[in-house]
Amino acid sequence: MVTQKTEVLKKALAEAIDEGLLMLGESGRDVIYFRLKQSYALKREDVSSNPEIFVNCLREIFGSGAGVIERAVIKKLYDKLGIEFKEKKDFGFMEYLNEARKFLEEG
Amino acid sequence: MLGIYKVGLIIAVGLTLLYAFQGFYPDFIYVFSNAFPPVIAGAAVVTSGLSLERYWRRAKGPFSTVWFYFTLGLFLWFIGEAIWAGYTLILGVELPYPSIADAFWISGYIPFFIGLYVYVKLFSHALTKKAVAITMLVAAALTILVSVALLTPVLKAEEDLTTIVMDFAYPILDLALLSTALLGLIIFWKGKLRKSWLLINAAILMDVCADILFSYTTAKDLYYCGHMVDVLFDLAYLFFLMAFYVHTKEF
Repeated sequence: MVTQKTEVLKKALAEAIDEGLLMLGESGRDVIYFRLKQSYALKREDVSSNPEIFVNCLREIFGSGAGVIERAVIKKLYDKLGIEFKEKKDFGFMEYLNEARKFLEEG
Repeated sequence: MLGIYKVGLIIAVGLTLLYAFQGFYPDFIYVFSNAFPPVIAGAAVVTSGLSLERYWRRAKGPFSTVWFYFTLGLFLWFIGEAIWAGYTLILGVELPYPSIADAFWISGYIPFFIGLYVYVKLFSHALTKKAVAITMLVAAALTILVSVALLTPVLKAEEDLTTIVMDFAYPILDLALLSTALLGLIIFWKGKLRKSWLLINAAILMDVCADILFSYTTAKDLYYCGHMVDVLFDLAYLFFLMAFYVHTKEF
C-alpha cells in the first residue's frame, strides 16, 4: 500500500517537474534536464526519485530565483494530488513535498 | 570558460591603453574611435543573436522572448553606431550630435528594457519588497543626482531643445536599465547566472558613466572623436557580448 502511494507521488512529481519547468520554455526545460544528467548523472526519468538533487541543481543555476521554479512545480504537484496549495512561511520545496507525502499516507 | 574572461580582460586593457596614449597617434585614434564601435556592437548583436537562436530552436518560451528583445535593442544600437561612423568617416561631419543615429540609439532602449523586464518579472517572486524598494530608491536618487549635475552645464551651453533633451535622456534611460538589471543581479546572486548578470550590470554602468560624461563634455565643448569617454562605450558593448556568451554557457 505504502509502495503504491510512493509510486503515485513519484509519478505526480515527475509530471509536475516536467510541467513546472515549462515556465522556462521547452528549451529551458531541456537545459535543466541536460544539466541534471551532465553534472549529477541523473536521468530525466529518475529526477522524481531524487528531488534534493533537482532542487540543488536549480539553486546552483538560479540562486534565489530557483524558488520561483520550485513553487511552480509544487503548485502543479498539489494540483495533481488534489491538495489545496497554501503558501507557508519558511517552507521550501522539500517541506511542501513532505507535506504532500503525509497527505497521501493519511488519505 | 575562463578563456572568455582572459580575452575580455586583454581587450579591455588594450582599448584603455590605446585611448590613453592617443597623443602619439591622433589621426589613427580619430578613425579607430569611429570605426571600432560598429564592429564591437556588431559582435555583441551576433552573440545575442546566437543566444536567441539557441533558445528559439526548440520552441518559443520566455528566454527566446528575452533574447529577441536584447538582440533587437543591440541591433538598433549597432545601426546607431554605423550611422555615426558614416557621418564622421564618410561625410566628414565633425560631431554628428544630435543626428538620426540618436533616433536609433534612443529607440534601442525600449526593446532592451522590455527584455530585462520580462526576464526579471519571470523570477520577481524571489525578490523581497525591501530589495525592490531599496533598488528603486537608489535609482531615483541617482536620477535626481545626475539631472542636477547636468543641469547647469547643459543649460549654460545654450544648446537647442533636441540636444538638451538628448543630454538628459541617455543617462536617465541608462539608469532605468540599471535599476532593472540590479534586480536581476539580486535574484541570481547566489547562482551561476550571477556572472552573466554582473557583466550586464557592468555594461550598463559603463553606459551610465559614458553618457553622463558625453553629455557633460559636449555641453562644455570638450568632446572630440577619440575622447577617453569613447572607451567606456566600447567597454559596454564588450561586457554585453561577454554577458550573453557566459549566459549561454551557464544556462
